[in-house]
Amino acid sequence: MKLNREPVSDEIPTSSMADIAFLLIIYFMVTTTFAATRGLDFSLPKEDDSQPLVEKEESVLIEIQPGGVLLVDQKQMPLSEILEYLKPKLERNPMKPVIIRPNENSEYGFMVDVFDELRQAENKIGIQIKNVSIPTQREIEMFWY
Amino acid sequence: MADIAFLLIIFFMVTISFEVDKTQVSLPKTQIRLEVPKEAAYISITGTGQIRVSSGEEISVPVPGAEDVLSFAAGVVAADPTRAFVLKADSAVPYRYVDRVIDALKQAKAEVIYLLSDQETLDQIQGQEAGS
Repeated sequence: MKLNREPVSDEIPTSSMADIAFLLIIYFMVTTTFAATRGLDFSLPKEDDSQPLVEKEESVLIEIQPGGVLLVDQKQMPLSEILEYLKPKLERNPMKPVIIRPNENSEYGFMVDVFDELRQAENKIGIQIKNVSIPTQREIEMFWY
Repeated sequence: MADIAFLLIIFFMVTISFEVDKTQVSLPKTQIRLEVPKEAAYISITGTGQIRVSSGEEISVPVPGAEDVLSFAAGVVAADPTRAFVLKADSAVPYRYVDRVIDALKQAKAEVIYLLSDQETLDQIQGQEAGS
């Protein structure tokens, strides 16, 4: 009896390789998320720099009230005018401290708006504001009272 | 064809970055946006003040309050003193929640903090100026 046996191939079957590859491509394309990984850097003063908080009188105090009302040195002011107000002060003293003090019930977004505006000082008025601080409630209680 | 396919696979494999924190928040919008370091610890605060933390290696876990952020942050700083912290807070959250978290990070001696934000577009800026 004659057996009709197929000759066994000694090569790895690669015909489905491309299919597998495309499947993997689709998997990685779908799972790749271009995450929102950008933001403002909020560097903290180093512990050894000392001078934890500057005196209230010498600095510019920006208070943020609930609803986004800004009080700059007790005067109400729209966000777009803050840099103009700060310009002469910074020209006299580039190290002039600017303190942002959001009310505990004001929205976080307003604080970021003000911080963003101050960070743009170099582009808008040509002076970099070097000394911006946003003290936390605990620090205010520790150093101011 | 298969070569190109494998090239693409390698590209996607290299660029893939698993999001450690999938909390949905509406981020504040800023004009200045800097690249956040890849290996960073994440702290997210939702609009209702719920906090989730992740050291950057595993999926974020919820924590009950800001006091727990301090112990978490202290642990991260102890393991890697230069690790950056990314604060992903909802723009509508009352500031006191953010204040407590930042205070915890300061107490834990965190050196670098990023405030995650979305891009502010030109017409949003003009709208803001017209409104103010």
